Amino acid sequence: MTRAGLVWILMGIPALIAAGCATYPDPAATRGIAEKMVGEDFTAPSPGLLKRLEQDKAQQLCSKIGGATLTQEEAAEVVKLSRASIQYPASGRLSGDWKIGNKLAHDGAGDRIQGGRLEKRKENGGLCQNCHALAPGEINVGNVGPSLTGYGRQRGNSEAIAKLTYERIYNGWAYVPCSNMPRLGATHHLTPEQIAHLVAYLIDPASPINSR
Amino acid sequence: MPKTGGGLAVILLAFLAAWSTAPLLAQSDDPLAVGRKMLAEDNPGELWIERGKALFYEKRGPKGVSLEQCDFGLGPGKLEGAAARLPRYFSDADRVLDLESRLLHCMVVLQGFNRDDVVKRAISRPASDGSDIEALALYITSRSNGMKVNVSLTHQKEYDTFKAGEYLFHRRAGQTDFACVQCHGEANKRIRLQDLWNINDPKHIGEVASTWPAYRGAHFVVRTMQWRLYDCFWQMRLPELKYASDTSIALATYLQVRGNGAVIQVPGFKR
Repeated sequence: MTRAGLVWILMGIPALIAAGCATYPDPAATRGIAEKMVGEDFTAPSPGLLKRLEQDKAQQLCSKIGGATLTQEEAAEVVKLSRASIQYPASGRLSGDWKIGNKLAHDGAGDRIQGGRLEKRKENGGLCQNCHALAPGEINVGNVGPSLTGYGRQRGNSEAIAKLTYERIYNGWAYVPCSNMPRLGATHHLTPEQIAHLVAYLIDPASPINSR
Repeated sequence: MPKTGGGLAVILLAFLAAWSTAPLLAQSDDPLAVGRKMLAEDNPGELWIERGKALFYEKRGPKGVSLEQCDFGLGPGKLEGAAARLPRYFSDADRVLDLESRLLHCMVVLQGFNRDDVVKRAISRPASDGSDIEALALYITSRSNGMKVNVSLTHQKEYDTFKAGEYLFHRRAGQTDFACVQCHGEANKRIRLQDLWNINDPKHIGEVASTWPAYRGAHFVVRTMQWRLYDCFWQMRLPELKYASDTSIALATYLQVRGNGAVIQVPGFKR
């Protein structure tokens, strides 16, 4: 190596140090930076509503970046937490009124925050239509989740199916950890009674979702 | 670009007709294609560009100066290609800023506007004349039309912001357990009839990065990326995202970097 070349290299090292060799922060640093942002960057009509931003343990485990998969231990933990979260209607009846369920399934409103106000309604909508195909012939339905058309026709309306269906709406992560399905009961978006109405809408032979 | 009121009404009627018949056409790949095509050829958002230009050069605010001294990264008043490289780090603010937060910075520091006042008006009401910042953002972005999105990470805070954006894109919270990726991580998904773009599809993320600000048909105004992010958090039942906050800038940075290479064409048109 020439003397001049060596000088250039030696002069270059301090320059690189001065530049700080900017690069991607590690995951722990990223988490710190981003969580600080979340803590500062939102407003709500009350401090209690700001708590919606806080993640529970299952949400933390289900927020992996870029489709990274859960370890077996993590999946087991999400399932365990989810199972423990499930509560049933006081009446014990897991299947309610399909007509009420039908209305709920097509209701996408409730509990949104805008202009410093909470959208307060008597009860929240079930949001189902946003993501699932429902009764045959309904076109204005989403496909983020699987089709529910003929749900009860395919599965019947036994106690076991009612319980499975109830639990998958209350907290679907007990069955498919970290699926896209909101834990509608566990997060208190819906009440146990509302979920029972949705169960009836899905499994009752008289429900339009099971018509041909 | 002058337009008669009658022409505008015809366009809007055509859009509404396409919209109302959408369920009948839902079997085709894109049920709104007819209305979209008509609007793409004659986008009402064009009307905002001239207004944004006038606002840019007008002496305004308590200090009575134009925005010509505002540096969007390529030097004061240099607008051509500037939006294509945003967000970026600005040493005078010691922050990474997107176009809207940079505009806000200049309106406050150079023109002397009250920050809270500008923020309060930043996102306009539907069917209104729109806000100053919406018109300015569209005008400035239109000066990058035909150029490629080219956001680079150089400064440490740019790397930090990008990674924070990626983290936030995947951060599930609230009673719907949603992060951005629940709706924008898979191909061929819809919320009801609305197509969802997919972050893993280069064409989709390119469109996200190159078509805002956009004319929003359902609102009859031009909307910006800050509005788009705010509205997603609203629908997710989360608290209200602060305008020009670091969270919003981090998400915008993540999206723009992922959309690098897409050719900017604004105003876009959204349903």
